Amino acid sequence: MAAAHAEHLEHHGPPAPHYSSRVTPGVLGMFLFIASEIMLFGSFFTAYFFVRVVNGTPWPTPPYHLPVYVAFINTCILVTSSFSMHWGLQSIKRGNVWGLRAGLLLTFLMGLSFLITQAIEYSRIGFNTTNGAFATIFFCLTGLHGVHVFVGLSILGFMTIRAFRGHFSAEEHHGVEIGGIYWHFVDVMWIVVYLTVYIL
Amino acid sequence: MRRGSIASLLGIGIVSGGIAAAVALAIPWLPVSASKEAGRIDFVFWFVVTICIVIFAIVSAAILYSVVVFRAAPDDDSDGPPIHGHTGLEIAWTIVPTILVTAIGIVSAIVLSQDDAIAKNAMNVNVTAQQFEWTFSYPEAHNLTSATLMLPRGRETVLHMQSRDVIHAFFVPEFRENEDIVPGLTTTLNVTPTRDGTYPVICNELCGLGHSTMRSTVTVMEPAAFDKWLKGQSKAVTSPSAATAGAAVFKNNGCAACHTLTAAKATGKVGPDLDKLPAEAQQAKQPLASFVRTSITDPNAYIQPGFPKNVMPQTFGKAIPKQQLDALVTYLINSSK
Amino acid sequence: MTAATLDPHEHHLTPSVRRGPVRRLLLGPGFIRAGWMFCLFGAIGFGLVVGFRWWGGWQPLFDMTPITLVSLLVAGPLGFLAGIGAFDYWTRYAIGSPTRPEDHSGHGARTWHDYFRVNTDHKVIGVQYLVTTIFFFIAGGFLAMLVRVQLARPGNHFFDPQTYNGLFSVHASLMIFLFVIPAFAGLANFVVPLMLGAPDMAFPRLNALSFWLLPIAGIMMLSSFLVPGGAFACGWTGYAPLCSTHQPLGAIFFNQGVQWAGASSIMTALNFLVTIITMRAPGLTFWRLPLLVWANFTTSLLVVIATPFIAGSQFFSMFDHVMHTAFFDPNNGGYPLGYQHIFWFYSHPAVYIMMLPGFGIMSEVISVFSRKPIFGYRLMALSLMAIVVLGFSVWAHHMFTSGMSSWLRVPMMVTTLLIAVPTGIKIFSWIATMWEGKLHFNTPMLFALGFLSMFVIGGLSGVMLGAVPIDIHVTDTYFIVAHLHYVLFGGSVFTIFAGIYYWFPKMTGRMYDERLGKLHFWLTFVGFNLTFFPMHLLGTEGMPRRVADYAPKFADLNMFISLASFGLGASVLVFLYNMITSWKNGPIAPANPWRALTLEWQVSSPPPIFNFDEIPQVVGSPYEYGVPGAQHAILAPSPTHAVEEVAAP
Repeated sequence: MAAAHAEHLEHHGPPAPHYSSRVTPGVLGMFLFIASEIMLFGSFFTAYFFVRVVNGTPWPTPPYHLPVYVAFINTCILVTSSFSMHWGLQSIKRGNVWGLRAGLLLTFLMGLSFLITQAIEYSRIGFNTTNGAFATIFFCLTGLHGVHVFVGLSILGFMTIRAFRGHFSAEEHHGVEIGGIYWHFVDVMWIVVYLTVYIL
Repeated sequence: MRRGSIASLLGIGIVSGGIAAAVALAIPWLPVSASKEAGRIDFVFWFVVTICIVIFAIVSAAILYSVVVFRAAPDDDSDGPPIHGHTGLEIAWTIVPTILVTAIGIVSAIVLSQDDAIAKNAMNVNVTAQQFEWTFSYPEAHNLTSATLMLPRGRETVLHMQSRDVIHAFFVPEFRENEDIVPGLTTTLNVTPTRDGTYPVICNELCGLGHSTMRSTVTVMEPAAFDKWLKGQSKAVTSPSAATAGAAVFKNNGCAACHTLTAAKATGKVGPDLDKLPAEAQQAKQPLASFVRTSITDPNAYIQPGFPKNVMPQTFGKAIPKQQLDALVTYLINSSK
Repeated sequence: MTAATLDPHEHHLTPSVRRGPVRRLLLGPGFIRAGWMFCLFGAIGFGLVVGFRWWGGWQPLFDMTPITLVSLLVAGPLGFLAGIGAFDYWTRYAIGSPTRPEDHSGHGARTWHDYFRVNTDHKVIGVQYLVTTIFFFIAGGFLAMLVRVQLARPGNHFFDPQTYNGLFSVHASLMIFLFVIPAFAGLANFVVPLMLGAPDMAFPRLNALSFWLLPIAGIMMLSSFLVPGGAFACGWTGYAPLCSTHQPLGAIFFNQGVQWAGASSIMTALNFLVTIITMRAPGLTFWRLPLLVWANFTTSLLVVIATPFIAGSQFFSMFDHVMHTAFFDPNNGGYPLGYQHIFWFYSHPAVYIMMLPGFGIMSEVISVFSRKPIFGYRLMALSLMAIVVLGFSVWAHHMFTSGMSSWLRVPMMVTTLLIAVPTGIKIFSWIATMWEGKLHFNTPMLFALGFLSMFVIGGLSGVMLGAVPIDIHVTDTYFIVAHLHYVLFGGSVFTIFAGIYYWFPKMTGRMYDERLGKLHFWLTFVGFNLTFFPMHLLGTEGMPRRVADYAPKFADLNMFISLASFGLGASVLVFLYNMITSWKNGPIAPANPWRALTLEWQVSSPPPIFNFDEIPQVVGSPYEYGVPGAQHAILAPSPTHAVEEVAAP
């Protein structure tokens, strides 16, 4: 640290910051961002609560059906992808670059198949956003989650590219760790969405 | 603290409290109270205002005193005494306000429960709000409708309020009563009028372009006079004379709020001038009678140039019984010629 | 430690300089690239909408509402941000290229040009914030003047109803989302890292991005006057279903503008939280933080937790408008009151988001200009936390007459009244801080005292409104308008002015004109009271708010208010003149003109580009005025000097 500091002074750069917490800024920032995201989902679930509990909208409103089993398979895919993500991160912590690459690639492909399944489900579901409050809440909750999967996939994509271009190592894998936290969040959120929208 | 400083602090406190009290008492803050509920609400109002004046006096006295007494000379670079706090004082100004707001809360909750209680012999009135007019109807008198609200003095009335489009609010300052009218819900409001007179009914929730014109009146009258009015109204709208019945229907449905019609002494400017109906029918290339009828039941069928679409409610066709609608059309045709 | 790998002689030669001048102009980050990328992204957005509609076979193919939303309000601004260079670093990171070594070329202001580009220096960003927000303050104030023109006498037809409703809606939106909230963020941006003894914020690039979202949001809201049908005209609260289904195209400019401003707000708050938690100087424990830092810490907690709810409410409203969903359409199973619950779950905490940073500024100013330590420091910090916690449990006091379940009213009333207690603690503590002090009435102190007296009135009328029976009578009348202006103008705006005057020497390196500052204060203070105090009376007598016309019996007071408000508006001109001339020609400011102890005053005015040569060591409380030999921090220009300082008692 001292050597790096001396370098900085030469460049008229900033003094080396003093870190007053054991948590690194990146990880803390991601956790706070996730807190914010949970509240965003919270507002959508509040809307769900008003429509389904307060207004007593039948769920699903006849004549519509929800493809519970397709969604269940989708759930399995997404949950599995969390494990492959974790495996990738553990690999790079041990310095296994190919483990990271395989893990990220696998996670990315599973996430992509989730999103494609979701898109196909939308096109075959037989109703659209204008078909009443049930349809509104269904599309908005799954859609909001879909957008998060898309963002998560983009992050995964960037990480994969970086992994294949040789950027991460046993010492330096912050990007994977932070992106991984987000991906786990997206997975956990899906379980909540799946339970409330499809099962309950 | 020195004795002199307490005395002058007290002096400033009394003066600023006095000014605040004078402002509070010399100005007629509240309009006349015309309902039982208003009396209770006024009590809470003055109860809280008194507490507020006392607090305001204390705070402003302390600020003014500090400003005058603790002013530093321009060349005084010294610091004040390093006082970091005083546990007793800090506890005091946590506890005392807590007690005060608890008292306010208890008084408010009691008044609220009294105002919300509904008497057994309460009369029901249905209120329908839509952009930008009011309709009141009396379910206990053959659903007679009226554009202004008539209430008997001394009898509790429950208003059942519904909206046809967006959120409105029913507000009568003299009753101190105010409640939103939300589409899809029926909200209620209890009023026990205690004072004869005519007061404004105000839409108190922004409801669109004509929000500031969405006004009606409420008239409180002797119970006997109220019964007489009810009977007279039922008679007027069912009168065989189209002129009498049509004029009553025109009045009861609030047409005057938006339209000009000399025969009814109406001067509204929101919608087209009804004195010029024949000319407008010609512009629309329709026969007068069917033009007038369609314009009431389906206002968007033809829009007079210069007036926006979707302003006139599209529900009159359903709300006005056929017989009354016939009378209204005849009345309008005859009046505009 | 990427900087360590850099050749020291090359750091001012950014890669773009090595390209040809024309290429650099077109492809280098800046307004030209922002312009064409705005158009490019807008065109892509247009293509996406039309392409999807064509693919799905929806008619009409060219539906203006979704096209405007996607192309003009989402994709275009993203293009603008990319063009201005907000994403440059991340793009390189994402595609796995070697990231450009940090040469600090995007950091600090050496010429005025540096204020007009993406800059990662928190001090530059702070100034960018303040100048931008003052611009929108003036725009919003101008709209308020127009509102008062219409209201000067009854039966006035100066504006048509759509324009009039648009005027007060845009006025409120600008003042809230583009002045008060970001102005505090700007002041804090400048001051907080300095107070923490940190070289910058934790995420400087994110910080730069969150600033550049603001002009987008502001221009979006202002430009809604230009779209067919006029600006959004449903009040800043945008209640559904009026705003979601009964409004012209302008409504989505509001919905989307709030999203951009909200995103900016969340990113800044996140940045503050991480900075305050992870980047405090050694020795700077939480109980040694200046109260301004505490205030911004608590505010940021509120922002991070609450702001997503307004994002949600505006999404729902916009989806009802654009995609014809049924969130708030009762005929289709929707629940209109849901909007208000979700909206106020943000917007009540938002009141504290607009108050707490002001409380922080108050604590700094009053302590320094009274030459005394803050009275009851810990209770001051704890009351901030109490406000945060209680602030989440009071939202429905905006809805006492909304038709919600009546059982909710009493619990919400109790929490609302209770929140007056921590607020009262703060006011009493400030007075106790002044007590027996050596008061110096410089302009910041005048504004602080103005705040203290005005906020007491606003707080007391707040207690009145908290009592449900009174609220039933005066809700949605001018009493509310008076109350909210006493809180947000007498409260927030006065503290913003206090903060601007207080840190003006630090920001610009020059002193403002004290006489003009005092003139500005007195004009504002008197004009403010003449304008807003009579509104209490209008309200209790039953004049509803948000009306273009009113009963003739209110005519005299309204004329009086309108005249007073023009005077209040004119007072801003004094402020502007003072700021501009002092910034250009004011006397050079010393490092510490107010003899304050907090860290930002221990460095030069304006501070060095990287704040500190070396991170200072904090050894005590920041408010030890009058304590002999007390020190807040040791800055070490040379190690020997620091040792001597410690040795001396």
